[in-house]
Amino acid sequence: MSRDDGYGFAAGLPVEPIAPGSTVLVAGPALSRAEDLALSMAVDGNAAGEASLFISTNMTCKTLLGTCERTHPDFDGERAAVIDCSGQDLGQAQFEAQVRSVSTQSDLTGIGMKASALYESLYTSATEGRVRSSLVSLSSLSMYVDLRSLYQFAQTLSGRIDSADGLGVFAIDPTTHDTQTVNTLSQVADGRVDVREADGEGDGELRVRGLRDQPDGWQPFVVGAAD
Amino acid sequence: MSTRILCVDPDERARQETAESLRTELSDLDASVETAGTVEEALDRLTPEHSALLTEQDLPDGTGVALIDAADEIAPDAGAVLYTDADPAAIDTDALRGSVTEYVGKGSVFGAERLGRLVRTTVDTRAQASYPLPQNEAERVAALQAYDLDDPAPMATLDRITGLAARHFAVEQASVNIIGEHSQEFLSCYGGATEWETTDREDSICTFTILADDVMTVSDVTEDPRFESRSEALVGMGIRSYMGANLVTPAGLVVGTLCVYDDDPRSFSTADETYLRDLATVAMDVIDLHARADAPEGDR
Repeated sequence: MSRDDGYGFAAGLPVEPIAPGSTVLVAGPALSRAEDLALSMAVDGNAAGEASLFISTNMTCKTLLGTCERTHPDFDGERAAVIDCSGQDLGQAQFEAQVRSVSTQSDLTGIGMKASALYESLYTSATEGRVRSSLVSLSSLSMYVDLRSLYQFAQTLSGRIDSADGLGVFAIDPTTHDTQTVNTLSQVADGRVDVREADGEGDGELRVRGLRDQPDGWQPFVVGAAD
Repeated sequence: MSTRILCVDPDERARQETAESLRTELSDLDASVETAGTVEEALDRLTPEHSALLTEQDLPDGTGVALIDAADEIAPDAGAVLYTDADPAAIDTDALRGSVTEYVGKGSVFGAERLGRLVRTTVDTRAQASYPLPQNEAERVAALQAYDLDDPAPMATLDRITGLAARHFAVEQASVNIIGEHSQEFLSCYGGATEWETTDREDSICTFTILADDVMTVSDVTEDPRFESRSEALVGMGIRSYMGANLVTPAGLVVGTLCVYDDDPRSFSTADETYLRDLATVAMDVIDLHARADAPEGDR
């Protein structure tokens, strides 16, 4: 694995490797597995020595790290960091991952600064400086700040990911926003993964748009490392 | 496009080292890197054309965070980076009042290289701006610079066009706007718009219009998520609803807009959009023909 290799995904995800420096939106309604997918895409390289940075708006770091361990049994928390914006008291809990809390989702300045500092820290510990960042979710943040502030925050984060040859995965629920909001936030990303519920086995269907050399149309997917 | 960077550090040697390393890392951008040692000196040096501001947190007359907040008034498009020895956990970001900043630790193993790359991305993609840029922004700005917009020759015709637009749509205000690298200028105005002065690009509705295919309408700025945070100022200018059509050069680059503004919420029909688009095409033809007429013979 070198710096120039694309970021690949577990066998259950019909997504070809994504070029370093890219940010993608993972868009799906609340009942789909879009948010789980956005987390999982940032964990898929963890066992291979890549690092994972999470900005979690609603889920506590405990729940989030538990989810990572469940979907990816080889998950190594020492190469992970979480910014917990859930507002819940972490108490004396100890984690292998680096955890920072932000008292409110409206503090984009604080979230951004902490993300920058944690990114630098993970960059030095990850193989070839490969860091995947997952923001779950833009929709939640949008309830606390205006669109222009959120755009600025997301664009800054995407710029950092670009400058460090990382991978960014930002979750959004497009059904909770008007067209202008989704169109504006889409400008921070290089491509988009749409997610929908589907009958049958698996976790739903996804469709990749705006990225090169990806499968056409809706494809079934399964979240997690297990083949 | 110009690349001006300001490095602020109280330690003379440290700031010269940072400036020199940026000049080397960004040599292909022909970056002009200036330095300052205090908040006061930095605010004196800073202009709206600056692309990036790098600062230590601890400064003799204040903090880097306070400087970044004050700089936002002068250079809203400039990206800010705290390049500091200070522990990020110890930095009180309350003074930033919602602005964003990047952080790079001076002690980081990859400090200088990471700083260079981060500043490059921040400048190239205007990563900390609060509005999206067109994909072809560099070409667009270059195209704009090729026109002499101080040329008085096309003004009388442009004034007739803004007047026609205002009367057709029965609005009090209309204008031809130029969307520059960091600002919006009013080239020709009708009605109350003649009182308007150049605005920051981030406060301009048209900076979103130039992303659209040709025409953009806003039926109520107070209800549109892109403009609601600025709607008080807009309504104060008599702008409650808006329609703008792009001024497109023969090479297909958007340099500005022709706009009409209503002080009440209203919707615009497809026929309205077509009419404004036609007028915008005429306006651009006028600007272009005068530019060609003024150009040296070999450039025509």
